[in-house]
Amino acid sequence: MGTNRISNNRRKFFKASAALIGGTFAISIMKPLGLMAQTDSDDNTNEKDKFPLWGMGVDIEKCVGCGKCAEACKIENDVPKEPFYFRTWIEQYTVKNDGEVKIESPNGGIGGLNQSVPDEDIFKSFMVPKLCKHCTNAPCVQACPVGATYISPEGVVLVDDSYCIGCSYCIQACPYGARFMNPVTKAADKCTFCYHRISEGLQPACVEVCPTDARIFGDLRDKKSDLVKFLQENPTEILKPHLNTKSRVFYNGLSSEVR
Amino acid sequence: MSKIIFRLLLSFIVFVTAFIAIRQLVIPDSFGKLGHYRANSLEENKARVPYYKGTEKCASCHQDIYDLQFSDLHSEISCESCHPPQIDANTDCKVMPPIIEGTIEFCAQCHKMNAGRIDKGVPQLDIEEHKGDQNCIECHNAHAPWELTE
Repeated sequence: MGTNRISNNRRKFFKASAALIGGTFAISIMKPLGLMAQTDSDDNTNEKDKFPLWGMGVDIEKCVGCGKCAEACKIENDVPKEPFYFRTWIEQYTVKNDGEVKIESPNGGIGGLNQSVPDEDIFKSFMVPKLCKHCTNAPCVQACPVGATYISPEGVVLVDDSYCIGCSYCIQACPYGARFMNPVTKAADKCTFCYHRISEGLQPACVEVCPTDARIFGDLRDKKSDLVKFLQENPTEILKPHLNTKSRVFYNGLSSEVR
Repeated sequence: MSKIIFRLLLSFIVFVTAFIAIRQLVIPDSFGKLGHYRANSLEENKARVPYYKGTEKCASCHQDIYDLQFSDLHSEISCESCHPPQIDANTDCKVMPPIIEGTIEFCAQCHKMNAGRIDKGVPQLDIEEHKGDQNCIECHNAHAPWELTE
């Protein structure tokens, strides 16, 4: 009799457990958890190809360091005017005859860069516009604990202002120093390739104002775009390739001093 | 079913339900739709109004200046390089025309002698030497720099 009672109870227990597990599973695949939505989107992997893949080319051989791009970026995106908040900025590299490298970027280059080294000491000098590299393997996206920074379907790394908790992990994670904490929104801020402009078919503000066409913006998937043409015509490089970020900002005429 | 198993099951169900309910409440609607982020954030990022309207927009009123500029050395420069929007994205440029004084400091942003600008197709001037008492635009037509005004 004793054995009967035990086995009976055990059967009940297994039944109840199976029902519970089954029930939990049934609930979990229902819409509220969004698992259904994910399985749906897996079927449409070709959807991605319909989006453009934005990238930028920077021609160091053309940049004159006038600072119009940095200025336009601040106006277009309401970036605070203080000289340490930049979505894009220009650095002037000066290699002296004794081999020393001087890097300057007063006010991000806004108002034009001035050469502070006397001409006779200069071996070479060039300007390097910097901005977010919109990495394919973005370290900032991996670092964000809440999913407030992400790569859009068009390959643009964006910030969700309202969801950002302001922990600054992404700012530390970025190897290019392209992010900053916006004192107004209290959220991480960065170049968006002027996402609002490119979605309307306009060029980013920095590309629009560049007087020497040193910045080339375009769709990497469109084989006829200006950017693809630029990449075909010039031997371009990305910054810090050893970090495997697979950035989508390509530099022509990059010297080994640039970091 | 014995009492203890019933209690165990009940507390388990309560826990699972509470977990699903809280998760539902805390995670925003569009989160996870496209990836590990709020899909609505894409639209929010798109929602800004562009400040810089583009050369075509300027040319729709100032066709004469556009033609003049296109005929000369400054043809590659867009209007808003020198005439940035003044107030905000929605204010008409007639309210506050983006007039540029054409001071030597302004033109020097591109044309001041700098070792980093040599051989880039932008004429370089020794500002100290070239400097007069006037603004650049008193002699040079900024839209067509090859023409001197007088």
